[in-house]
Formats: sequence, C-alpha cells, structure tokens
Amino acid sequence: MASTVPVLEEAEDFSFLPLIHDIIKCMDKENQDVHQELNRLRVRIQEAREQISAMPGIDASPAVQQQRLHMLRDQVRTKNQLLHKYKGLCMFDIQKLS
Amino acid sequence: YVLFKPVKSTFSRLASLVKELIEMLALSRTQKLPQPGEDTQVLELLVQRDKEFQELMQTAVEQGRIHQEMQQLEKEAEKRDSDIQLLQKQLKEAEHILATAVYQAKEKLKSIEKARKGSISSEEIIKYAHRISASNAVCAPLNWVPGDPRRPYPTDLEMRSGMLGHMSNLPTNGVNGHLPGDALAAGRLPDVLTPQYPWQSSDVSMGMLPPHHGNDFGLEPPGHNKENEDDVEAMSTDSSSSSSDSD
Repeated sequence: MASTVPVLEEAEDFSFLPLIHDIIKCMDKENQDVHQELNRLRVRIQEAREQISAMPGIDASPAVQQQRLHMLRDQVRTKNQLLHKYKGLCMFDIQKLS
Repeated sequence: YVLFKPVKSTFSRLASLVKELIEMLALSRTQKLPQPGEDTQVLELLVQRDKEFQELMQTAVEQGRIHQEMQQLEKEAEKRDSDIQLLQKQLKEAEHILATAVYQAKEKLKSIEKARKGSISSEEIIKYAHRISASNAVCAPLNWVPGDPRRPYPTDLEMRSGMLGHMSNLPTNGVNGHLPGDALAAGRLPDVLTPQYPWQSSDVSMGMLPPHHGNDFGLEPPGHNKENEDDVEAMSTDSSSSSSDSD
C-alpha cells in the first residue's frame, strides 16, 4: 500500500520518512510493490534535488537577507517621503497682476 | 554562510542514508547483519537528518517569500527613482524658465528706469511733431494730386521770391540792361548754363518783370504751358515717388 506522497513545492512537509516507511512495510510483507515504491522514492529524491537548486533567495544567509530587506524598505520609504515632500512643496502663489 | 549549501549537503546526506538503509534492509532479508543494531542506528540517524532537512527547507521557503518581497521592493524603488528623475527634470526646466523671466524682467526694469530719466513732456513731443508735419514735409497734403506744384522743400520759385532772390533784382544799369551777376536772376544765362525750368526759357519777359511780380512765376507764358506741365508732371512723378517712399 502506498501512502500519499506530499508534493515538495506545495506541502510544508519535506520529510521522506512516510515514503521510507511504506518501503519498509512492503519489504516486510515481501510485497511486489516494493519496486514501485523504490522508484517513487528515487523520483522524489531527484525532484527534491532539482527544486533545491532552483529555490530563490537562498544565496544568502537569513541574517544577510533580513538586512537587505530592511535596507530596501528604508530606501522605498525615504524615496516616497522625498517625492511626497517635493510634490507638496510650496508652489508659487500666483496672484492677479495688479 | 549561505543556506543553499547546508540544504544541499543535508539533502545529500539524507539521500545517502536512505540508500544505505534500504540496502541494509534488503541485505537483512537474505543474510544476517554484521552488527545487530546497525539498522536501528541508521534509522535513527535518518530520522535526525530528515528532521534537519525539514527545518532547513522551512527556512528556505521563508527566504523564498522574503526574496519575492525584496523583488517587489526593488521594483518599487526603481519606479520611485524614475519619478524622482522626472521631477528633477521638471524642476530644472522651471528653473530655466524662471531665470529667463527674471533676466528679462530686470532688463525691462532697466529700460523703464532709463526712459524715466530721459522723460520728455508729451505735449512738447506733440508740438514738435506738429511743427514737422505742418509744412507737409513728411506726408503730402491730403488734396495733393499730380500736377500740384507744391513740394515739401523750397522750390526754385519760392527761393527766387525770397530775400536772396530779391537781393539779386538790383537796378538794371549793367551791360545790356543787366549786371553780369544778375544773369541768373534775370533769367538770361550763358549757353553753358541753359535754364532747366520752363519759366526761365522766356528770359526777356522774366528779366523785365519788377520784383513784386516775382511771385507770379507760377504763371507761365501761354506758349510754354505744355512744356511746363510736362516738367511739372515729371517732377511730380519723382516727388510723388519720393514722398511715397518717405511714407
């Protein structure tokens, strides 16, 4: 019997234990599905490897990433304030020509 | 320290453990394990690695979300940059326009000040203009037509009828009744100085006229009317063309 295999990119459970458990059960029962389960495990491992390589944002440590995030937020906030300030700056008070 | 390496290495170790465990289980079916608790040890290690891997993957997913947010912030920052550049360009244009306007205003103020210093009463200017135009020197009279002997300059007749002309009309005691210096006034000129005007062609009648009849120079002898008219026409044409040019 096969248990549900969680998809790596959607579920938050990245564990291989359920799959291994299924394989062990099949081996204990000397079930012919063991090869199928092994195949699934192999495919799952390969997919995980590919997805890890493609994951964005893990080229820096969490601390460095947080630092960059705060810097970007400050940048955007400062620029917004600057624009708001200059656009709302005292414009020329055009009065009627006397 | 980057997350990618720990995740990758942990995953590799996990995969190796999985493989090892499965091989061990497969072997245990056929033969006895060299070490009795080895499969348990491998299993425990596998569980531990799996847990580590899960934690790392949770962190990686979170970093992925943060990375997306950072990308959005970067886009927003770029948009703000372009807004700032546009505003800067507009401010520069406004500054240029203002600088030009201020400069021109200052020049105008200088001109106003200069004019104020050299101000003249408008009545004086009008009087002067009236005086200039009273003699029809700048514009022909409204009723002037070709043939009109009036000119914007003193004509020959007017000169002759003036003081200078009368001064020349002294007593006729000279040779042939005329003094040599009176040749011009008398109308009798040497051949070299042939009169140019029709009223001088009949020199006898001209020379005998008393001074107070000098003003009748406009009345030509009947025989020369046509010639006079032609000359006046020619002069009129010239004058009218010159007066039209002066207009």
